[in-house]
Amino acid sequence: MASLELSDIRKSYGATAVLDGVSLTMEAREFIAFLGPSGSGKSTLLRIIAGLETLDGGEVRLDGRRIDQVPPGDRGVAMVFQHYALYPHMSVRENMAFGLRNVGVPRDEIERRVADAARVLEIEVHLDKKPGQMSGGQRQRVAIGRAIVKHPKLFLLDEPLSNLDAALRMRTRIELAQIRSRVDAAFIMVTHDQAEAMTLADRIVVMNDRKIQQVGPPMEIYSRPANTFVARFVGSPAMTLAPVELVPDDGLYARVRLGDGAEIETRVPRSELPAGGTLQIGLRPESVAVAANGAATTQAKVELVERLGERTLVYARLSDNRAITAEDEGYSRVNVGDTVGLRIDGAAAHLFDAEERGYHAEARPE
Amino acid sequence: MRGGADRRDWSGLLFVLPFLTAYLIILIYPLLSGMALSFQRVDLFGGGRFVGFDNYARLFADETFVRSVLNTFALALMIVPLLTVIALSLALALNRATRGAAVFRGVFFSSSVLSVTIVTLIWRFVLAPDAGLLGETAQAIGAEPIPFLSHPTWSLWALAITTIWWSVGLPMMLFLAGLQQIPGDVYEAAALDRASRWTTFWRVTLPALRRTLVLVVMLQTAAQLQIFGQAQLLTGGGPGGSTRTMVLFIFESAFARWELGYATAAAEILFLLIVLITLTQYVTTMRASEGEDGR
Amino acid sequence: MAAEASRSRWSPLTLLAILLAAAVMLAPLIWTLLLSLKENEALIGNSGAALSPPYTLENYRSILQGNQVFRWLVNSIIVSGGTTIGVLALCSLAGFGFARLDFPFRRTLFIFVLLGLAIPEQAVILPQHQLFADLRLHNSYPGLILPGLAGPFGVFFMTQYMRAIPKELDEAAMLDGASRFTLFWKVLLPLTMPAQATLGVFTFLASWNAYWWPLISATRSDMYTLTVGLAAAQMNYAQTSGLGFLMAQAVFASIPIFIVYVLFQKQIVRAMAGTAVR
Repeated sequence: MASLELSDIRKSYGATAVLDGVSLTMEAREFIAFLGPSGSGKSTLLRIIAGLETLDGGEVRLDGRRIDQVPPGDRGVAMVFQHYALYPHMSVRENMAFGLRNVGVPRDEIERRVADAARVLEIEVHLDKKPGQMSGGQRQRVAIGRAIVKHPKLFLLDEPLSNLDAALRMRTRIELAQIRSRVDAAFIMVTHDQAEAMTLADRIVVMNDRKIQQVGPPMEIYSRPANTFVARFVGSPAMTLAPVELVPDDGLYARVRLGDGAEIETRVPRSELPAGGTLQIGLRPESVAVAANGAATTQAKVELVERLGERTLVYARLSDNRAITAEDEGYSRVNVGDTVGLRIDGAAAHLFDAEERGYHAEARPE
Repeated sequence: MRGGADRRDWSGLLFVLPFLTAYLIILIYPLLSGMALSFQRVDLFGGGRFVGFDNYARLFADETFVRSVLNTFALALMIVPLLTVIALSLALALNRATRGAAVFRGVFFSSSVLSVTIVTLIWRFVLAPDAGLLGETAQAIGAEPIPFLSHPTWSLWALAITTIWWSVGLPMMLFLAGLQQIPGDVYEAAALDRASRWTTFWRVTLPALRRTLVLVVMLQTAAQLQIFGQAQLLTGGGPGGSTRTMVLFIFESAFARWELGYATAAAEILFLLIVLITLTQYVTTMRASEGEDGR
Repeated sequence: MAAEASRSRWSPLTLLAILLAAAVMLAPLIWTLLLSLKENEALIGNSGAALSPPYTLENYRSILQGNQVFRWLVNSIIVSGGTTIGVLALCSLAGFGFARLDFPFRRTLFIFVLLGLAIPEQAVILPQHQLFADLRLHNSYPGLILPGLAGPFGVFFMTQYMRAIPKELDEAAMLDGASRFTLFWKVLLPLTMPAQATLGVFTFLASWNAYWWPLISATRSDMYTLTVGLAAAQMNYAQTSGLGFLMAQAVFASIPIFIVYVLFQKQIVRAMAGTAVR
């Protein structure tokens, strides 16, 4: 059964549109991440679902009930704020109980729910502390606890990990996954961190420029980006994009020629490509390897070498001055200024048409 | 319809309404009715009669009023510069993190919490030649006591001294707050540039305090143009009208002679003067300092 | 302390100047205190006697034995307390409205209120006096309290303070199902306690020391506040009525205010410095 349904959501501030006809359907207990750069409209969408922003058009339904005109407190959603938004003058216990009191939950029921949540989140010993006396990680748990006690149908998480240091972020990510498996609710998380989105979400909604760019499971987003925006936004370092010419022949798959003349045999079915128009090739760094001259597809001049330990990233330029990112082994002997051979894995290459739509190798048999 | 946080509705007005009601009835309505009143002749038996600019014309012809305006300006000119310099000196001397400095700050601020009546009560028996502290001291060293309260040349100074003693605390605190805003590294840089203390004061401290200085002068000017209690209680405006200030004039016109319209017209002139003077101070200093903000 | 030479010692010359200034500052206060401790008869024609013993608490005993000063003290407490409570209530509500809610004409109204900061007492006090006469409010507590509630400074102050509190808290409260009033009462008001203290002390002091308005509004001596009462006492003073007793009244009248000063020094200084943002 669907839990959350968004249909044709529109929102603008004055003359500036921030959401332009967004539709989405969530499965029950699904975890969805809204991923996008700032200004993409992802936070606005989350706030519209929460009821913190009004919408100019469209509908929001939760478990079949239309909620877009319902006050935030009555929607059956709970939110974890980016800066936690804990009430500084209330103890942890009062913070968690506040929302329940406001809707008239009986006292012993409140007690029980708070105790349960505190146990799950391991903050029982902190229940009588004020937020100011706690560490960032502990406050984060309280914020989650305040959401859990409400038994919402939908959790809304606004950049929930962005205020934690790297180590704590990893741990909290795991804990979020655990909590998620324990509660009977759907989750929406807004993030600009693709690693967070990839590890936690069942599906990722990539947003940019007021619109949903692509919706899909993490690996599909990564391996079959719908357009150049998704292709460049997901994956680090970003995918190399370069204009190519289609080599006319009668093969099953498209064969393309780079600006420097090198030819690449892709696995994109030629029949799917539009007739005419320009094309761009998309190459992830891991499908461009530094290679001995014999095995090389083309040559490039190295501009920057980034040693990451287990692998090395090589930023280089082709002879037609196009930038390209390649990968080499950890102990790479490549130096800045070298001209190196690059072997391009055509099977992993993506093509994008003049409308920036993506075409990919035929889905690999599972 | 209920809903989101950004939905405009009238319920917010409910929170503002209690204050707005008080504000409109007790402040704005009197402000406007005062303007109307100044064009009327109103006396003890009530009833207003529209007289146009008659009250204003009479005021400018009224020697007592003109004298009171001059007295008020004289007082402001005596008090504001002295008060500013003294407060700034005190702030510079007491801007330290020591216990002693804190105690002295408390001493110099203490008089500011007293009411004007206590202040005049205290100073009357400091200044009075026969029973005052100064008189006693003068007699003790065999000098003639200065007739502060009874001689026209000294009476304005009596008000000025009392006022400075009373109100030195606030500007001192404002200067101290301003000094706290100056980052320490500026002084370190000045020291590295071998600036003398005097140069440092004129080139670093004073420019950094410019905004505070403007504020102090504006606040004090506005306050001193409204001197009332000191004049009424210490000297009663005398001797011979030498200390009658504008507000005292307004008070006497309204509550001794019951010429309400006339008094209100004088009040409107004072209001206008305050607005004009503080505005001029603000505009000139802001214009003079344009483009100087290097920080 | 960021400023120059903040921990260094004073030079002897500076110290001397400070001590001298402090002496000028304190001498009138000490003089007043000494006068109040002398028998009235001993001071007649010779106030210099105050500099030497014997001292007595006789004048203070007279005050405590049923004197009008006591009544004035009670009046002052009622008027200043009432004004303070009223200002805090009105300004907190209005500050919340202006800072946290949106309603039609909000900006316009706020600017309209801010303009009031430029209105000096003199521009309104005479028509106010007329208005209160029409409403028959003179010589009453409401008559003494109400004009103190109309000043816009507190609204400005509370609005600024409330604006600085993160908006996320309001949103969290909305998701917690809080009504506007619950949000105000349970979330924001407790968070403004430091501002309440500052504004409260500031208002109390200003009201306690107010002179002009109570002078013309309270014309019956049983409705005098301490400030006005002391003015009457010194106007009516004749040497025979006792210089020591008069000064004892002054000291007595300043005791409450000095207690407030000592207790709330931090808030007072902050409130004074707060006028800097105007």
